[in-house]
Amino acid sequence: MISYVLRRLLVAIPMLLGAMSIVFFAMRVLPGDPCVAMMGDQATTEALADCTKNLGLNRPLPVQYADYIWRSIRFDFGNSFRQGYPVNEYIGRMFPHTLILVLAAAVVAALVGVPIGIISALKRRNPLIDYPLRIFALLGLSMPVFWLGILLLIFFSLRLDLFPLIGGGDLDGVMAMIRSGEFLTQPRDFLAAVGDVLHHLTLPALALGFTLAATVSRLSRSAMLEVISQDYIRTARAKGQGERAVVYKHALRNMMVPLLTIIGLFVAIALTGTVLTETVFTRPGLGKMLVDAIGARDYPLAQGAITVFTMIIITVNLGVDMLYAVVDPRITYR
Amino acid sequence: MAIARDVASPELTADRTADEARRRALGRMLRRYVPIAIGAAMALAMVVMAAAAPWIAPMSPSAQFADAVLKGPGAQDRHVLGTDEFGRDIYSRVIWGARVSLQVGLASVIFAFALGVPLGILAGFQGRRTETIIMRASDMLQAFPTLLLALIIVTAMGGTLGNEILAIGIALTPNFARLARSLSLTIREQDYILAARALGSGQLRLMARHVFPNALYALVVVGTLYIATAIRTEASLSFLGLGIPPPTPSWGNILSEGRQYIKCCPWITTFSGLAIMLAVLAFNLVGDSLRDLLDPRLKGE
Repeated sequence: MISYVLRRLLVAIPMLLGAMSIVFFAMRVLPGDPCVAMMGDQATTEALADCTKNLGLNRPLPVQYADYIWRSIRFDFGNSFRQGYPVNEYIGRMFPHTLILVLAAAVVAALVGVPIGIISALKRRNPLIDYPLRIFALLGLSMPVFWLGILLLIFFSLRLDLFPLIGGGDLDGVMAMIRSGEFLTQPRDFLAAVGDVLHHLTLPALALGFTLAATVSRLSRSAMLEVISQDYIRTARAKGQGERAVVYKHALRNMMVPLLTIIGLFVAIALTGTVLTETVFTRPGLGKMLVDAIGARDYPLAQGAITVFTMIIITVNLGVDMLYAVVDPRITYR
Repeated sequence: MAIARDVASPELTADRTADEARRRALGRMLRRYVPIAIGAAMALAMVVMAAAAPWIAPMSPSAQFADAVLKGPGAQDRHVLGTDEFGRDIYSRVIWGARVSLQVGLASVIFAFALGVPLGILAGFQGRRTETIIMRASDMLQAFPTLLLALIIVTAMGGTLGNEILAIGIALTPNFARLARSLSLTIREQDYILAARALGSGQLRLMARHVFPNALYALVVVGTLYIATAIRTEASLSFLGLGIPPPTPSWGNILSEGRQYIKCCPWITTFSGLAIMLAVLAFNLVGDSLRDLLDPRLKGE
């Protein structure tokens, strides 16, 4: 097991390096100069040359590349071209926004998707139940998250005025209150701040969660089908166990392995989804930061964002692979 | 209502009257072919709409009507789906937008197929170092979600039709390589490969004449599903402002431009988004139904 973990880690390193190289070189062939993007067309040649030098862009490409890789290994992505302060700090500030969005969307997706998947697997021979559920899944799968987001905004924010149009609430404030212990001394302020954050979170989480629910329901449907057609299910039925006991005691427990696979896939899809969701709801977060950074030709910021995205996905997949062995003792690694 | 019980009890089957059996067969036929027929009809309609846009669209997608700026559906009795901020006809723009979506959707999948399938078959059939190199490269690309990789490439090269096709094509390639590899791993072990080899077929001929045709059906099924992914990815890129730049209409950029006007004029975003959803739905429906037909586990139903 330990040698397997080590080997997987060794494989993950070149993957990460490769991914980072793709990002680096893609950013360098970008049309458009970050200095021009920053200072405008009116800037003098001297000012532009100065700017290029300050940002280290006048160095040979291999030097820039080696520098970038070496710094990234130490989690140092340099300074944002535009804002000036470290990319790390920026990512650290944006990460919680994206994290709560993904978590809230995961809750929505699980609450909607898993029951639908299981019911449609168990009742797949009843067209009155199976068909509406499958249509729902197909619609969710085909609905772009940014369109659903806009529809929700039009209806709930503009027509009914129930939710804010933009922003993510004062999450920084909430976290500061937790850190300073203020949430104990001023619980009312704290709850108000949390409520505001949740108020901003509702529509984005619903939009992202609903589109993910479709994927989750399909994956759990096929996972359930897989499990239910196993021999031990037939055995359980043959010995006269009730349908309920068969589902809860035998089928659900064995669904843990496919469920882990779902989580691995889920993180990748959800992270991509945050790019679109945060843009549509004008919400702070890693995804919005990436889109803005690309628009501003802010190389370090964009590189940092993509590297963090890739690292999260690779790490989660690694973790999922390891957990397989824990959940299912039959799986052994050599 | 469990499948195992129904299949396992012979008297139930024997008791069925011929009439009931016929009705069941009809139900099965309907269940199997109605979704695929609906999906195929929708997909075909999209293709026709894209191909015949100049004849179907009532107006030019770039014609600006000064008397109908940001007017709702039915304005001036000629703008069925309303107009945008330049007084352009949304209906005509959505029809023309189908061109971008379908061109990118189809061409990028063909690109990914043409690049990924030979590599995957080669990897699965040859094994050893060839396989390691191809699959490691594919793993590396797959570490990026499709949209993220396409976004990086299209940002680097600029948002033109060709670049979008290339970007989404490259992002989808590992999926085809992976599937082709696993299919060819199975096919490699079949007796007919052994027979062909005994008859003196070379490696290339084995792969091209035996492995590829036997993997084709599964690859085409999955390819249909990836057309849906490609259309959605194209729309997402355009929505983020990285796709084909305006004034050329694409569903994604109509929607993106309309975002500023959702307060007064929600029809711009509503109809362009609906077009995206219907197109993606059409190809998902076809791919899904084809896969159900292919999946032996579901065949007994």
